[in-house]
Amino acid sequence: MIESSPAAAAPCVATHHEPSWRAGVKTGLPSLFGIGAWGLVVGIAMVKSGLTIPQALGMTLVVFAGSAQLAALPLIAADAPIWVIFVTALVVNLRFVIFSALLAPHFAHLPWRQRLTLGYVSGDISVALFLQKYPSPAPEIGKLSYLKGLLYPNWASWQIGSIAGVLLGSVVPPEWNLSFAGTLAIICVMVPLTAGRPALCGVLVAGAVSVLAHGLPYKLGLLAAVLAGMLSAMLVGETAEKLRSKHG
Amino acid sequence: MADWEIWVVIFVLALATAATRSGFWLVGHRVTIPKRVQEMLRYAPACALAAIVAPDLILAADGQPVLDASNLKLVAGIVATVYYLLRRNMLETIIFGMAFFTALRLISVI
Repeated sequence: MIESSPAAAAPCVATHHEPSWRAGVKTGLPSLFGIGAWGLVVGIAMVKSGLTIPQALGMTLVVFAGSAQLAALPLIAADAPIWVIFVTALVVNLRFVIFSALLAPHFAHLPWRQRLTLGYVSGDISVALFLQKYPSPAPEIGKLSYLKGLLYPNWASWQIGSIAGVLLGSVVPPEWNLSFAGTLAIICVMVPLTAGRPALCGVLVAGAVSVLAHGLPYKLGLLAAVLAGMLSAMLVGETAEKLRSKHG
Repeated sequence: MADWEIWVVIFVLALATAATRSGFWLVGHRVTIPKRVQEMLRYAPACALAAIVAPDLILAADGQPVLDASNLKLVAGIVATVYYLLRRNMLETIIFGMAFFTALRLISVI
């Protein structure tokens, strides 16, 4: 009762805000199934590529980056130099630089330890869902609780799925294609972000470029696709604006 | 690779994750992003997600693009996208998409 009185609790982004935490959990809930399934697939892939169970468990708990892990596995199997694996992981993770640049201004005032942890556990889907609700970095009560409500269950379902995958190992038949559930989850997050002509154009260009440039070494195709998509979205947006100001 | 080398790789991968994910959180407030770049970043999440999803939907196991109905993932992906556009429910879409994909797969085996 005391907490709910606005006079007693000074409004602060960092204060725990129960309704926002619950709203975050609720928003993220449907994606957890896909995340868990995706984790399961990566867990299975790690064991099948020859990692021991402790190594695979260590990798999932410490690294927490599905696509970077998947990219590293064939390189480990091929005895690639460690710096090559590092660069590959950096490039595969580059999209997170963009995500963290979008998210960081919202929480710049928090202590560095908290920023380090929050950044480390922020996955694609959680960031996209958060930015859908809070597009502006202006401070708002409950923002941090909402983000935590998205991030922590997301982390937990990834780890549960991944550990299950490591332990189940080769039992699951590969033709089930469980990773497809992860792909479907990403589509559901992507669709609302694709509102408007510039964004739609960006998504189509990024998709096409990533397919065409898929053969590039070190997963550079992914980076090229994101850059090409963003540039074309921006060009379409600016052109539309110019036309509007000319006619309007 | 020796056991210790794999542990070094795991550490290095963790470092790459921390650098890319937490870098801006730690130093971001000292860096100002130009307005044009900010404008571009607005479109980044959708583009990055598309870049992750598209190869999975379009490329066959041998790395060749397949754009006809024999590509079951592509068909199921399009159907699931339409389902999501109509219903706007992620969990329903994932279950429906997986069921549809599995049905296609079983039919094509027969």
